[in-house]
Amino acid sequence: MLIVDDLHAGYGASEVLVGTSLAVKQGAVVALIGANGAGKTTTMRAISGVLRPSHGRVLLDGKEVQGLDASRIARLGLAHSPEGRKVFGPLSVEDNLLLGAYGRLPKFLGFKAGAQADLDRVYELFPRLKDRARQASGTLSGGEQQMLAIGRALMARPKVMLLDEPSMGLAPVIVQEVFRTIRRLKEEGITLLLVEQFAKSALEVADHAYVMERGRIAVEGTPDELRRNERVLAAYLG
Amino acid sequence: MKRILFLRGAELLVFAFLATIPLMVVNPYALGLLTLLAIYGILLIGLDVTVGYLGQVNLAHVAFLGLGAYTAGLVVTKLGLGLVPALAAATAVGLLLGALLALPALRLEGPQFALATLSFAALSTTALNELESLTGGAQGLSLSRPALFGTTLTPPIFFWLCLVLLALVWMVMRNLLASQWGRAFEALRDSPIATDAMGVGTYYHKVAAFSLGSGLGGLAGGLYAFNFQYLQPQSFVYELMIILLLGVVLGGRKSLWGAFVGATVVVLLPNLLSNRTLFHLFSGAGFAVALAAGLRGLVKKTTRPFQAFAPVVAMGLLAIGGFFVENTEDWRKGIFALMLFSVVVGLPEGLMGFLAIFLAKLFRVPPSPLPEPSNLEEVLPQHAQGDGPLLVLEDLKRHFGGVKAVDGLSLQVLAGTIHGLIGPNGSGKSTVVNVISGLYTPTAGRISLRGATLPQGSLTRVARAGVARTFQNLQLFSELTALENVMVALKGVYRMPLPLVLLGFARTEERRAQADALALLDLIGLKDQARTRAKDLTYGAQRFLEIARALARKPDLLILDEPAAGLAHPDVVQQIEIIKRVHARGVTIILIEHHMDVVSELCDQVTVLDGGRIIAEGAPDEVKRHPKVIEAYLGQASGPEASAAEPQPA
Amino acid sequence: MNPSIIGQMAVSGALMGLVYALIAYGFQLTYATSKSINFGQGELVMVSAFFSLTLTNLGLPYWAMVPGGLLFGALLGLVVERTGVRLALEQKSEGWILLSIILGLFFFSAAENIWGRDDRPFPTPISADPIHVFGVDVTRLELSVAVGVFAIMGLIELFKRRTLLGKAFEAVSADRDAAELMGISATRTVMLSYALSGTVAALAGILVSPITTVGPTMASALILKAFSVAVVAGLDSGFGVVLIGMALGVLESLASFYLGSGWREAPSLTLLILALAVRPTGVFGKAVIRKV
Repeated sequence: MLIVDDLHAGYGASEVLVGTSLAVKQGAVVALIGANGAGKTTTMRAISGVLRPSHGRVLLDGKEVQGLDASRIARLGLAHSPEGRKVFGPLSVEDNLLLGAYGRLPKFLGFKAGAQADLDRVYELFPRLKDRARQASGTLSGGEQQMLAIGRALMARPKVMLLDEPSMGLAPVIVQEVFRTIRRLKEEGITLLLVEQFAKSALEVADHAYVMERGRIAVEGTPDELRRNERVLAAYLG
Repeated sequence: MKRILFLRGAELLVFAFLATIPLMVVNPYALGLLTLLAIYGILLIGLDVTVGYLGQVNLAHVAFLGLGAYTAGLVVTKLGLGLVPALAAATAVGLLLGALLALPALRLEGPQFALATLSFAALSTTALNELESLTGGAQGLSLSRPALFGTTLTPPIFFWLCLVLLALVWMVMRNLLASQWGRAFEALRDSPIATDAMGVGTYYHKVAAFSLGSGLGGLAGGLYAFNFQYLQPQSFVYELMIILLLGVVLGGRKSLWGAFVGATVVVLLPNLLSNRTLFHLFSGAGFAVALAAGLRGLVKKTTRPFQAFAPVVAMGLLAIGGFFVENTEDWRKGIFALMLFSVVVGLPEGLMGFLAIFLAKLFRVPPSPLPEPSNLEEVLPQHAQGDGPLLVLEDLKRHFGGVKAVDGLSLQVLAGTIHGLIGPNGSGKSTVVNVISGLYTPTAGRISLRGATLPQGSLTRVARAGVARTFQNLQLFSELTALENVMVALKGVYRMPLPLVLLGFARTEERRAQADALALLDLIGLKDQARTRAKDLTYGAQRFLEIARALARKPDLLILDEPAAGLAHPDVVQQIEIIKRVHARGVTIILIEHHMDVVSELCDQVTVLDGGRIIAEGAPDEVKRHPKVIEAYLGQASGPEASAAEPQPA
Repeated sequence: MNPSIIGQMAVSGALMGLVYALIAYGFQLTYATSKSINFGQGELVMVSAFFSLTLTNLGLPYWAMVPGGLLFGALLGLVVERTGVRLALEQKSEGWILLSIILGLFFFSAAENIWGRDDRPFPTPISADPIHVFGVDVTRLELSVAVGVFAIMGLIELFKRRTLLGKAFEAVSADRDAAELMGISATRTVMLSYALSGTVAALAGILVSPITTVGPTMASALILKAFSVAVVAGLDSGFGVVLIGMALGVLESLASFYLGSGWREAPSLTLLILALAVRPTGVFGKAVIRKV
């Protein structure tokens, strides 16, 4: 569903990604782990088009999308829930969710009707969001904002979802809840690329995993293979 | 020294040539133009300080020209004083009002700053118009040129006076730009945050620079008054301001030569409009240049299509329009607009910027050699820190909206230790550092250094209190060299008062600063790359340089924000070595780090944060076994060998 | 001093202040999406007013002329966005400040040569006869300004809050990158904001022209005060510009009465510089969090 081939990207003169390649099959949850600064988030940004890759290809459902605007890629079926959640603070929770489905809703009126089914699904997944539907999302706690960010990405009914550091800055209890959600989404058949600093937890939900080091993929394999790999074990799984 | 001689030679030649013109040509019109060239030269050098060096669009400069002109005029007509006091007063008014405007306005950036300066300009026009009893209002103010020390200022002598003043201003600006001030201007454009954090004081330097530029505007105004001997408020309006901006941008920002070239253009513009043949020639040439440059940019793919086409269209409009328009004078504003548009879009570096690249290729003049490094003992004296807490945080809080980034943190950092601060991403580590270093004002709580309360919410004041820091996302002054990066931050070297700096007395100080900075570069192993621009250094070297720059503050407390982030294994090893060396000199260090092996190897004490609160404290080994830490951060059963940056086998 | 005269001046000042507020609102619209404003907005007001005058002279009835004028303003806004703003935004430079000034200068020159340098009356079917309300004389013409200003600001605010496109507008202003990830094109949103801003400028021109006449310099004073309002109120709050705009209008009408008409501009400019000293982000503006 998503294929990344020899991707190069960076900020200004410094190249962060130096030939990253990976693939995410339909219905699979793929984890991308690695040290801080290895280029995980940059990979996500280069895939979704927030950062324009300088070289390489990104195929979404067989279609080359590298170099397109992020908004165009999003409308083609890629939902990227960014690091740091990036909810639209001044807007209400419900507005945030509706904007998640922006690409396929009528732009003026009657948009809520078109998204009601998805709204109900997200509220069912995160009942706390329903309680706070009218509240400005900037006033939510970190955990609630993370749920909103995931919910917002789901609203798009994406072909592939990128989820960047969903556990960042959250209390352990909330992190567990986030992972429960991911597991449930997996059962529902989501195609997901997950970047996560808690490598262990990430491997527990993943079907396949990549380990990044200095801008490229160093090791890949099934979670079991990685757990048996001594180097990965020592470096990331403690 | 060759390079200096070459540049000085070129300057001398031009000034000498200009000075001899009145001896050879007696055309009063040409002499008038030359005088105006010198005056506008001073004016544009002043404008370039804000537009070029500070990088802000300044729309008030024309007001300082006007205010200076009227001041000089009034000093002569109402007070009956001579030429020297009049020029001095004009300069002083510029300096003073410049500072007064800059104090509020430079707290703003970009559009708001432009708006504020625009309003000031409008206000000053209103004042000149309405204070009729003083200025004569719209009627204008006539004055005569007083004698200078008994000498009647005939047109050639007045020209020489203006030329001498231009040369003086030129020299003074050159000295200033070659000093710590010039470096600070460069630095604050690259990273205002780091400039503040190095104790340099972005705001202060910006205000001083703006005030200086405005002072030059005032001086130019004084000369303007004595040149025309008749003043009207309408002369100092928006349209002239735009022409001045055209001059600076077309000539090339951040360049004395650029200002000079710009002044030439400004002086010649009216002639261009009045002479039809000249106009056709000029617009045709402009069109050809735009076309050539555009095509070249497109072929080489250095410019975007819009950048290539828009100037061609604009200059084409100018060239073709020139044949259809009855009177070019009617369209003067439109013509200025088209020219300025083409330059801003197609030649953003200006003529001199363009030439400079070309000349640099032609003449490769080696820079003067660097001095021997100072003794490290003089730059960063070895000292024992004594016992007891150096930094104490009491119930520190920082909230952003609903997110409690730091939520009640109490912490002691003992003198002479390396204190680790770890925790998962987003646990509040960076926020703690940003609060301590003064970037954020705490929501609540108290911070003290050596028992004294640390200033809050000001990077500069915290830096001056003895705290230095590095940045997780590098905040180097990317356009400056490694050496200059360290020199900007050097503490206790620059003692020369500004007037002496302007006269060129800061040279010895500069050598000393270079030597000191070299010693620090030596400490981190970058002495051989002292002349490399920061942005051209390898990523690892940039991280090391951040530390050297922070050390230039001779800090009591050094905060290292993820110094090993993104480093390859050999660089991590070297970084550990550097930190050990720094610590050995008696500097207390707070280390924020993700690499557990770095923390284990370096830290005496470790504090673990999660969700803005402390979940564990102790020696590295204790902390690693702490159940809460394992749960929240390390993940199950972290072994002592836990490392995140193992080298990859080939 | 007769209180009814003060009241009279306050009311007419406040109504004029609404025009400043409307132009300042145009700055807010583009600032929200792109952190840029059109420094040539005054010329947009003026050129649109001239264009509307031409439409009227061509025999178009007032109510058909208004939409035509607004559409023309929107088009000009798009021209500014394309030629002056987009490139600079892509390069993350502040070149748009200079470029929008330059475009304004070009529009000014074009207007001078197309429509001449003289001030001309702007015909309107709305009566200029005073009506007596609460001891104060107001003309229908002046009231039409208030109605127009509140109507268009209300409509735009309604658009921002009630339509998905409007919410997208707010999303881009909150976080441009995140909005792109939702499939919202930031470039198009910026274009839309410039079109709206141009429309607002055109309306300001149409509303104020019958009172002040139309001429190339008609907007030069207006725009300065609109700048002041925008900076004093901050570039975030629509409510703020209305309040500050009306306050400034009252203040300057009192200043011109007491100090002489030449000093009309003084209070707004002084207030501006003072406001900057006290609160750089504007009275109703949001504080900015610096990040490293």
